Amino acid sequence: MTKKRAVILNTAIIFSFILVSLRLVDLMIFNHNRLAERAKQQHNKVEDVQARRGVIFDRNGRELALNLDLESLYGDPEMLDLKEGNIKKLALLINKEPKIIRTKVPESGRFFWIERKLEPETAEKIKGLEIEGLGFLTEAKRVYPKGVLASHVLGFVGIDNQALEGIELKFDKDLKTNGGKVVVGRDASGKILSSGVETETNGNSLVLTIDEGLQGILENELDKATIQWRAASATAIMMDPFTGEVLAIGNRPTYDPNKGTAASDSEKRNRAITDCYEPGSTFKIIIGVAALEEKIARAGTLFDVSKGSINAGGKNIGDVHKYGVLTFSEVIQKSSNVGSIMIGMKLGKERIYKYAKLMGIGEKTGIDLPGEISGWIYPPERWSGTSIGAIPIGQEVAVTPLQILRAYAAIANGGYLVKPHVVSEVLSPSGEVIASFRNPDSHRILSARTAETFRDILATVTEEGGTGQNASVDGNPVAGKTGTAQMINPVTKRYSKEKYVSSFVGFVPADNPRIAMIVVVYEPKGQIYGGVVAAPVFREIANQALSYMDIPRDDNAQRAHFVVAR
Amino acid sequence: MTMGRYDRWLLLGTMLLTGLGALMIYSTTSVVTPVLAKKGITEFFYFKRHLFTIFIGLSFMFIASRMSAGFIKKISIPLLVVSFILMILVFVPGIGASAGGAQRWIKLWPSTFQPSELVKLAMVIFLARYMSMPGFRTDNFLSFLKPVLVMVIFQIAILKQPDFGAAMSLAFLTFAMLFLSGVRLRYIGALLCLALPVVVKLAMQPYRLKRITSFLNPWDNPHGSGFQLIQSFIALGSGGMTGVGLGSSKQKLAYLPESHTDFIFSIIGEEFGFFGVTVVIALFLFLFIKGIAIAYRAKDQFVYYLATGLSLMIALQALINFAVATGMVPTKGLPLPFISYGGSSLLVNMVAVGILLNISRGEEKSEMPGMNREILARRKARRTLYGTK
Repeated sequence: MTKKRAVILNTAIIFSFILVSLRLVDLMIFNHNRLAERAKQQHNKVEDVQARRGVIFDRNGRELALNLDLESLYGDPEMLDLKEGNIKKLALLINKEPKIIRTKVPESGRFFWIERKLEPETAEKIKGLEIEGLGFLTEAKRVYPKGVLASHVLGFVGIDNQALEGIELKFDKDLKTNGGKVVVGRDASGKILSSGVETETNGNSLVLTIDEGLQGILENELDKATIQWRAASATAIMMDPFTGEVLAIGNRPTYDPNKGTAASDSEKRNRAITDCYEPGSTFKIIIGVAALEEKIARAGTLFDVSKGSINAGGKNIGDVHKYGVLTFSEVIQKSSNVGSIMIGMKLGKERIYKYAKLMGIGEKTGIDLPGEISGWIYPPERWSGTSIGAIPIGQEVAVTPLQILRAYAAIANGGYLVKPHVVSEVLSPSGEVIASFRNPDSHRILSARTAETFRDILATVTEEGGTGQNASVDGNPVAGKTGTAQMINPVTKRYSKEKYVSSFVGFVPADNPRIAMIVVVYEPKGQIYGGVVAAPVFREIANQALSYMDIPRDDNAQRAHFVVAR
Repeated sequence: MTMGRYDRWLLLGTMLLTGLGALMIYSTTSVVTPVLAKKGITEFFYFKRHLFTIFIGLSFMFIASRMSAGFIKKISIPLLVVSFILMILVFVPGIGASAGGAQRWIKLWPSTFQPSELVKLAMVIFLARYMSMPGFRTDNFLSFLKPVLVMVIFQIAILKQPDFGAAMSLAFLTFAMLFLSGVRLRYIGALLCLALPVVVKLAMQPYRLKRITSFLNPWDNPHGSGFQLIQSFIALGSGGMTGVGLGSSKQKLAYLPESHTDFIFSIIGEEFGFFGVTVVIALFLFLFIKGIAIAYRAKDQFVYYLATGLSLMIALQALINFAVATGMVPTKGLPLPFISYGGSSLLVNMVAVGILLNISRGEEKSEMPGMNREILARRKARRTLYGTK
């Protein structure tokens, strides 16, 4: 009896072992795929990895845009304990209403952002709460350490590092990476286990032609001028006239790209390329070079402007001051409207239009920044009867500040139309040069002779008797041109009596130009003339820039110094 | 005196399981999460403690292997009393320790001891002695009822902790041994009929009911009551045929609760696959068969019951653990012998193996004091046993 019982019992036990094994066959072999899939689902989570954007350097390798690793807080709705106490504590730390956190919890799914890119101290405090179902992901936050500096060049990115403006937008393809989605291993509480991003994909870096130092000088002076003249806005561009490398570019008003999404459209406008204006006298360069190239005039050719006005298509245009007989040079130096129109009439509209186009008027410069407009100049067949009295002196045309600067750079560099650009190199994350824009195409548009002659004429503008004396810098001759233009009232479509655009464009040193620069001040109050409003800004910037760039003074003070030293 | 040799295979099987256990405990506890780190838990925290327990366990095994069957028989009643006292001490403030809403442990520096594990051993020895006593009659209901009452007293104490799982496994063990002794089946049947309402009433407590219903349909509530079971399934299922590899389990990373104790079997499945769990099952089966074989060779009824009882104790506990992990019975907190982290279970099972090893050497009658009395008593017992049939 007991033996039989023993057999029964032992058989039952052995059978149970077999039963367990069969159950395991079912679970581990027949259901393997299903359960392994489920395991993968709960262990791994596909995350959008915010790849690290490339760094933006200035021409000297100083960082203008970089990345900071910050932690972002997310929740797992299935694990998150939504107790009132927890939510309140959390809400307090991130400065939000508890209600707002609750509304963020999605109906389904296992992931939602609670707060992105937290300050490190805040992140630590939240970790200290030890609330289940919260997780952190490190995200690279785009930081612009210099604040407003060069904001219009740099642009900015959104919370997901999506490019929104400036170089960030134009060179987004280079800066961002194909990071995309990466599988991240997690434990049950949603904590990241494997560091997830196996190959951290960095974007390519950019080296700009911008010089942080020059940019600072330029923006600083732009600030001062905007305040001094209570101007609606202002723009300045500094460029290497030979290469088209933009050394500095600034606009007022401006914004802090670190808070870019909060900036207004007006603040974000890169007026240097996105806004056009009637250039006024700075446009006289067109009829000037045209006359020289077409041999209609030489520097000494005389123009009788003693009448003080000229009739063009039934409309009288006058000079500010009355002059007698002026040489061609003096027409430019004193910015005589009458003389300019006389030259224009000699040229005829076909040739004026031809040379305007040649100098790049009404065409995009092709600068590597987003949003550039072309401006416009009417072709001859659309000119009205009065156009011949308006276009030579810079009316009835619309230009961008950069276009005018480029035209003047062509005088400075001996006759070449350069391509302005702000990016000089694209670097791989390891620092190799992937692409270089150091020698962008430029082509000859003027004879060297014309350029030289006109350069000398422009140099007289800042001398005694010229309109741009205020632009002359200490120790180096400046070649340039003032401009004062009435703005068109958008309502009446007539020239405004109060709103002017004052500008000065030129280059320095005149005989061996290192920088070409334009300063445009919109709607200055109190004074309107380019020579009074814009020329001093040019001087201030140029003075500091030349000493910053260690360009030797070309005057006697310097030489005397050497004599003493010797 | 003709002393045989230890059953080396039994020892080897035990050591293999213990070694695998140590390995798995390192695997499941070496990943230190920041939360654990705050509590001062390091990579080797559990592993070191477990190694220490194994050392103590081996010592106990050695001591047990030197204890004669007669000595064990003699201490059976004192052992039962001591284990009962320990069961009561669990509830004494300052001595008892609780965890997870259960009061199951006695503080014992540097660790804790779970008396309900000892109770199983004491019960097996007691039953072996009781059933081999001359006065034990298989056709006497009172003879049958006495050990059942002892069991019930223990069960009441265990249920007070509460530890439904331990109470059930004690019942399994007791009834298996009584069944073995040849008591009338109708006694067992009648008792089960009586016990059924009690069991049902106990099972009706909300948290137990939840466990039972979730066992029947874990996928109904995968994040609530079915969570642990589903995580166990996922661990086993994702292991597949060959497993994800040692140390590569993901389920141990806070997905599967109790992964180093009650559900360590699932992690073995995940890391070593079906082959791994088959080896574990085979080892336990091997231990059981070895134990039965040792019992079969016993010439003494007490020794026979003792060896069978100890084998049953280990095998039943392993089976219940397997069945829980694979969702064949409701979730109950029972460690897997030799493998799970938890000193009490390891010590008790090591002692059981120690006793089995001693028995495997063959009986050492010459050394037994009062041998004659023993033989006479056994003869009498056999007479009464077979005389009535």
